[in-house]
Amino acid sequence: MNYLIPLMVVIPILAALIVNIFGGKDKTVKAISIVVAIAIPIIAIIAAVGIQYFGGHDPALLANSLPSNLVGTLVASYNTGIVYVFENIERIFIFLMGIVAFLAVLTYFSEKKEVSGPYLYLIFMGIASVTALMLSNDIFNMYVFFEITALTQVGIIIASSTEDNYEIALKYLILGAIGGPMLLLGIGFILGTIGSVNINDIIFAISNNYVNPYAPSLVIGFALILFGWLYSAGLPPFHTIKSAVYSKARPNGSAILQGFSVLCMLAFGIAMYKIFAYIPYFNTAIIVFAILAMALSIAMSAMEVDFRRMIAFLAVGELGFIALGFGIGTQYSIAAALFQAANEIVITALLFIGFGTVYYLTKTSDTRKLGGLIAVDSKMAIMVLLGGFALAGVPPFNGFQSKLMLVQAALDAGYTELAVLAIIVSVVIFFTFVKAFHTVYLQPKPKDLKFAHDKIPKATVFSVAVLLIICLALGIFPNIVTDVFIPFAGGLI
Amino acid sequence: MMDIQLASLFASGAFIIIGLFAAIFIDNLIKKIIGIAFIEEGVNLFLICLGFKAGGVVPIFLPGMTADWFAANAAYPLPQALVLTSIVIGASTLAVMLALAMVLYRKHGTLSVSEMMGDEK
Repeated sequence: MNYLIPLMVVIPILAALIVNIFGGKDKTVKAISIVVAIAIPIIAIIAAVGIQYFGGHDPALLANSLPSNLVGTLVASYNTGIVYVFENIERIFIFLMGIVAFLAVLTYFSEKKEVSGPYLYLIFMGIASVTALMLSNDIFNMYVFFEITALTQVGIIIASSTEDNYEIALKYLILGAIGGPMLLLGIGFILGTIGSVNINDIIFAISNNYVNPYAPSLVIGFALILFGWLYSAGLPPFHTIKSAVYSKARPNGSAILQGFSVLCMLAFGIAMYKIFAYIPYFNTAIIVFAILAMALSIAMSAMEVDFRRMIAFLAVGELGFIALGFGIGTQYSIAAALFQAANEIVITALLFIGFGTVYYLTKTSDTRKLGGLIAVDSKMAIMVLLGGFALAGVPPFNGFQSKLMLVQAALDAGYTELAVLAIIVSVVIFFTFVKAFHTVYLQPKPKDLKFAHDKIPKATVFSVAVLLIICLALGIFPNIVTDVFIPFAGGLI
Repeated sequence: MMDIQLASLFASGAFIIIGLFAAIFIDNLIKKIIGIAFIEEGVNLFLICLGFKAGGVVPIFLPGMTADWFAANAAYPLPQALVLTSIVIGASTLAVMLALAMVLYRKHGTLSVSEMMGDEK
């Protein structure tokens, strides 16, 4: 038994509880947070690939002790406990999320003298939930951890103490309170049809014709889970609220929130693909929402004058690329989607933290009131610009590699129009970003622009530099991750 | 006995539809939250219905029962376990929503969601 697998969830939960208890003792809280934030990616790297049966409920071991009237039935093959599956794909995503969390915590400490125990509690609780979401092979367990993630996201917005954060938190919570139960209802339909919520059991029952694969209850279940997936990922019609959520958190919080959304999208996307890919129009439905996400979010970002809102819309638009890869549905396109997801976690974290320094310096995010910030810290300006290039898909960064893979996959699959669309959206992202960069950094400084701080903390510069190095490394050596993603995608289809 | 299951399924559907109507169309925040509670309880009732077994026994293995008899007669326990977790999640969400409602009422002096969000820049 590989105890490191459950520890990936247990350690952040324990850290969350401890930092909350020691809320008033800054040094203790900082020390615990840093140690745990470093430990999370390290555990993801050293843990061996494996399966964790909670309570030791390995179906193969239980088979001999079953009541005689269950022997030989479908139920006899079912997993009777929660199962965590840890493979290299989970390793990559949990590692990247851990790195982003560590850098976000570091940035938070450098920008705030007095640390908030509840804020750190929410960050660690969120990390534990998304890690469990990635590991879980059980759709109900995924729903539980998704709801915890959604609550921590709301908590992070509330704890950020920004303008109108309560209104946005409430709006997100109300939408979540509709999206979450719909997801649960979908899970209920599957449970009612198949009798299990374990993904492997569901696939086994469907693929061996124990149930009618086109039973209305399964199709309704798929529709409801798709609705929950759209909410969890922030795809249309939830793109506006999701971008508002990102823009109302602190920059380090936004970096983490975006990572949470990507992992929620991936976990449910992979689960949906495993279970429902045989349903007619499955791919078409995903492609429609991907196109809507790309077109609507990028158009809205181009019109924004608030740079935090602009990055938030760009981040949501980038999720459309991930969905597009899943929608095309070939091995190469799914691998491209996974690569894009990995890149999205790193690049948007870089931009949220990097562009967040503008807000830290000036306490405004309105581009009409900003200018001349390159004179304050030119190194940070260059790093932010390079981060923007990575987002738009400029070589040699990671965004280029994943988008190139996606365009190639679209062309190979015969979706020329989707390849053209992906290129056009990337060009629009490039111009939107460069325009915002020019306004904030290069145009003359407005006379009435006042500075709340005159220097960017070194830890923030370090965080952005580390994220940029990861972008560059994945851009030059994409096979570090694609060697894992391509075989995984092959297994998925 | 099957009628009880069917009636419960219809009731759960009614709960969800009434809740959705309240959550989407009613402007008063407290009524919206009550609507959301309706949706959650409707889904919980739906899950409970799935575990119903006509003439079944509570799925607790007691002394004197044989494994074969228990497997043939006990209600399916999984939906009940799921609902227990779902109730906890629903209660947490409801608590956060009510706390936010209190804060926003103090800030805006109204429970009208459109007025609250209208103030938002």
